[in-house]
Amino acid sequence: MNGVEQALIGGVDGGTAILIPALGELIGERSGVVNLGTEGCMLAGALAAFDAGTTTGSAWVGVLVGAAAGASFGLLHAWMTVIRRADQLASGLVVWFLALGVTSVFGVSYINKSVVPLPTLAVPGLSRIPWAGPILFKHDALVYLGYLLVALVWVVLYRTRIGLTLRATGERPEVVTATGGHPVRIQILAVTLGAALAGIGGAQLSVGYVDNWFNDMTSGYGFVAVAVVLFAAWRPAMVLLGAYLFGVALATASVVQAHGVAINQYLLDALPYLVTLTALVAVARRGSRQAPEGLRRALTHSV
Amino acid sequence: MTLTSDRTETETPAENPPETTPPAAGGRVLGLVGGTIGLRRLGVALGVYLACLAVFALVVISKGADPLGVANSMVHSAFLGTGSIQQLLLRSVPIVLAALAVAIPARAGLVNVGGEGQLIVGAVAATGVGVAVGHAVPGPLSWLLMALAGAAAGGLWAGISGILRTSLGANEAVTTLLLNFVANDLMLYLIYQPWKDPNSSGQPQSRPLAAQAQLPYILGHWLNLAMIVTGVAAVGALLLLKRTGWGFGLRVVGGNPEGGRRAGLPVNRLLLSSMVVGGAFAGLGGMLNLAGTEFQLRPDITLTFGYVAFLASWLGRHDPVKVVAASILFSAIALGGNGLQLGYGLDGSVVDILLGLIVVAPLVLAKNRRKAI
Amino acid sequence: MTHLRPGGRRRLLAAASGALALLAGGTTLSACSSSSTSGAASAGASTPAITVGFIMVGSRSDEGYNQAVYDGSQAVAKKDPSVKVLTADNIPENNSVVQTMQSMVNAGAKLIFASSYGYFSYAEAFAKANPNVVVVHQGGFLTGTFPPNFGTYWGQAFEPVSLGGMAAGAATVSGKLGFVYAFPISQSIANIDAFELGAQQMNPAATTYLVNTSSWCDPLKQKEAASALLSQGVDVLTQHQDCQATVIEAAKAANAKVVGYHYDAEALDPAGWLTGSAWDWSSVYENIVGTVQSGKFTGSVYNANWVGSFATGDNPLTLAPFGSSVSSDTQTKILAAEALLKEPGHSVFAGPVTCQDGTVLYAAGVIPTYDQINSIKCLVKGVVGTLPQS
Repeated sequence: MNGVEQALIGGVDGGTAILIPALGELIGERSGVVNLGTEGCMLAGALAAFDAGTTTGSAWVGVLVGAAAGASFGLLHAWMTVIRRADQLASGLVVWFLALGVTSVFGVSYINKSVVPLPTLAVPGLSRIPWAGPILFKHDALVYLGYLLVALVWVVLYRTRIGLTLRATGERPEVVTATGGHPVRIQILAVTLGAALAGIGGAQLSVGYVDNWFNDMTSGYGFVAVAVVLFAAWRPAMVLLGAYLFGVALATASVVQAHGVAINQYLLDALPYLVTLTALVAVARRGSRQAPEGLRRALTHSV
Repeated sequence: MTLTSDRTETETPAENPPETTPPAAGGRVLGLVGGTIGLRRLGVALGVYLACLAVFALVVISKGADPLGVANSMVHSAFLGTGSIQQLLLRSVPIVLAALAVAIPARAGLVNVGGEGQLIVGAVAATGVGVAVGHAVPGPLSWLLMALAGAAAGGLWAGISGILRTSLGANEAVTTLLLNFVANDLMLYLIYQPWKDPNSSGQPQSRPLAAQAQLPYILGHWLNLAMIVTGVAAVGALLLLKRTGWGFGLRVVGGNPEGGRRAGLPVNRLLLSSMVVGGAFAGLGGMLNLAGTEFQLRPDITLTFGYVAFLASWLGRHDPVKVVAASILFSAIALGGNGLQLGYGLDGSVVDILLGLIVVAPLVLAKNRRKAI
Repeated sequence: MTHLRPGGRRRLLAAASGALALLAGGTTLSACSSSSTSGAASAGASTPAITVGFIMVGSRSDEGYNQAVYDGSQAVAKKDPSVKVLTADNIPENNSVVQTMQSMVNAGAKLIFASSYGYFSYAEAFAKANPNVVVVHQGGFLTGTFPPNFGTYWGQAFEPVSLGGMAAGAATVSGKLGFVYAFPISQSIANIDAFELGAQQMNPAATTYLVNTSSWCDPLKQKEAASALLSQGVDVLTQHQDCQATVIEAAKAANAKVVGYHYDAEALDPAGWLTGSAWDWSSVYENIVGTVQSGKFTGSVYNANWVGSFATGDNPLTLAPFGSSVSSDTQTKILAAEALLKEPGHSVFAGPVTCQDGTVLYAAGVIPTYDQINSIKCLVKGVVGTLPQS
């Protein structure tokens, strides 16, 4: 296996832990709510999944419990921002700090435990495709869930009535109300679902890829997920690209070294953020406004 | 493909009248501001606070510690122990200044989530200058140069987001957040190789400042000049916002940009300058933390201070006096965590839960929350 | 400097807080057996008993560096019940260290173990500011002169690491070994070189591939590093990280072998575990506590840069138990090598040792000193990879 393949394989594995939370964040932002607490929801999901995985012996139960843990923090965020209409950015940071504290306090007893991780499943047929097969189709099941979610989110967003309502909630909630919809309910659902996906992203770390729990093990990847949504301009396919780019950048640092070359990886690390900034600027110049109107309002009314 | 801010064109003036900055109910209950409020609101606020404290107490009890003892231990650790006040003030320095960096642009209606990055670039610039000239020039001169460099770097860093906002309409909350990560990677890049201390035996850290370039102690073994500078800066921020035409202009723009524009105010210049001035405060905070406390760059020297500061500014409703009080409160909570570890064997991060919970009440009770959808 | 001598006001407060704790039913139910309220600890300071603080950078249950420190601290408490042990973990390498040390002193600590490499400057500054408190730093390096109440201690880590390298060299089929390290600090460089030299004793063609993570514990980066190495054909992994479980799990999933570091983690992967190096700090800690208790710290061996070694019989880093897959022949050879290192005139780095670029590091017959080994800047021949240059 050559280095490029290995960087891509690692990029898909690690990138999935960013992709799934980013898709969740996309759903929330499309409804008009940003969640900086994605990092916290991931942490909660990672610990809960590991906890349930070690207790029950099934990593799949872990994934479900992880999703529930992420969702519960998402529900808190939804309560604060949607029901109580609190500042979204501050509320997200509150969720982050709460999750950081809760997982550190209750995670101590899980640090040295061992979990039976999600198995690596080679997709019959597809994994035999030369070169691309092992890169795309020889992973744990959450990686494939990531693929499916990208397609699913795209279809739902653009091809279904639910998606239309979700987007309308983010753009013109008064229209939704006028047509008999319930923007508040939709936002609560969207934020909670998004946080559940963040929890699954955490589970991908703790029981899918890294197979461990450590305090603060998400190391900021939840913030990366939020950045990826901005990079992607709220489009599912671009979220996939952005998340895997981050993943590949992360894996590349290791792969390059394993081939005997020392690198200072930090400028490489900064690159995705700079690309995102540049993309924001380049498109701002054209005056296009793809951000959900409600999200834009939420951010500017944040003070 | 961006969060373009058209608030300056579409904002309805009614939402945030320029003359008043409605304080949070929570802020009042905290005693951070005087005034009378309705009994019902008081009741609700008390209820939310009690609920939050109850949640924290439950966490503590579930780990086998008794909540009253925990409270006692935290207070002792943060305020009453020998040297506690010194450490409390020391820790407050970067948080206070980064919180003011949030509060100042907030007056103009801008959201600066970039305190963390602005602290970092302030420390980086101060290190660059301090290591270069610290040996050669008298202490006071290098302090001044480092402070200028730190403030300039912080101002510039926030100014990037300011310009992107005023000229291109890119949302400053998003760009400041992204620039935090860039700043951190920049610092790591520098201390990993180009600026690495050759005497660090391989640890990623910059050369330490020369002894004469370090801020002098004014009291005891820890309290240094940074304390006084921070106090002066906080008073300066208060005067800037409340006693100058610029500060008044910010409030007008923050409340009603269109009105401000019609009144002939240079709206864009005010917005940009609020970001630059705010960033300069955080940059100064990074410099003071470096020259007074840390003396060299290391990967973890600011560790979430900027985000804590964002919440502090929020808790203080962007009012300088209250923001300073909230920053000190948060520092006290962090210090209180030591008592919990030593006395109760609790994980130190338990205080993060308390920090989050304290902000919940004012967040969900604030009068000037977003409009209903 | 009033804070050095507790004044009447502080005693009153301490008594009050103690009373408060009692009122609140102050018996601590915490898992930490050494728990004490600050009030009780202050009272304890007036008895001959000593209060000792341990500060850790990571989690005390990381199956690695920090757990070894924690275990050592608990051994101290167990051996002498009059020693009150305070612990604080997850303290980052910034001024928080000073704040934690201050809290420990306020709780009565007269001796503080600052156990992370990056705590050095904070520990040194704190010692200078608190002449009545002894501060010792775990990491074994020294700059300039020592304050009378400060010292640093370590062990010749590369000795057991080279023995682990022997186990790896015997076990590898591909001839490729993988080493995940955090930062190119001198101790890591010595460990990498020692590991490769040990491996060559069993398999002269063995090579060691390097990846650094730039973090003492970032599980995702560790996983990426381990995956990159495994995909290179590496079939034995070792590491210099604070938390080692991720790399071990990665090896387990790939059916590779693993050599541990810091802590005996055989239970995580019984099939893949070859051996490892494990800290046993108990006797070092007990000796330092005893030295301080008897008031003889200043001028003692611990008021300097103390380094334990096999030759002096006090290396705190020991060879961990062998895993089941290590043949008795290999075990015999490794134990023989260990016995040899315990005799004078032997060293892991005994010449001839050659750098990657072919330059001679130590000529034949040269036995380098510890200080020389600790300042090695080159990777030895057989290591694949380069160090980030400063």
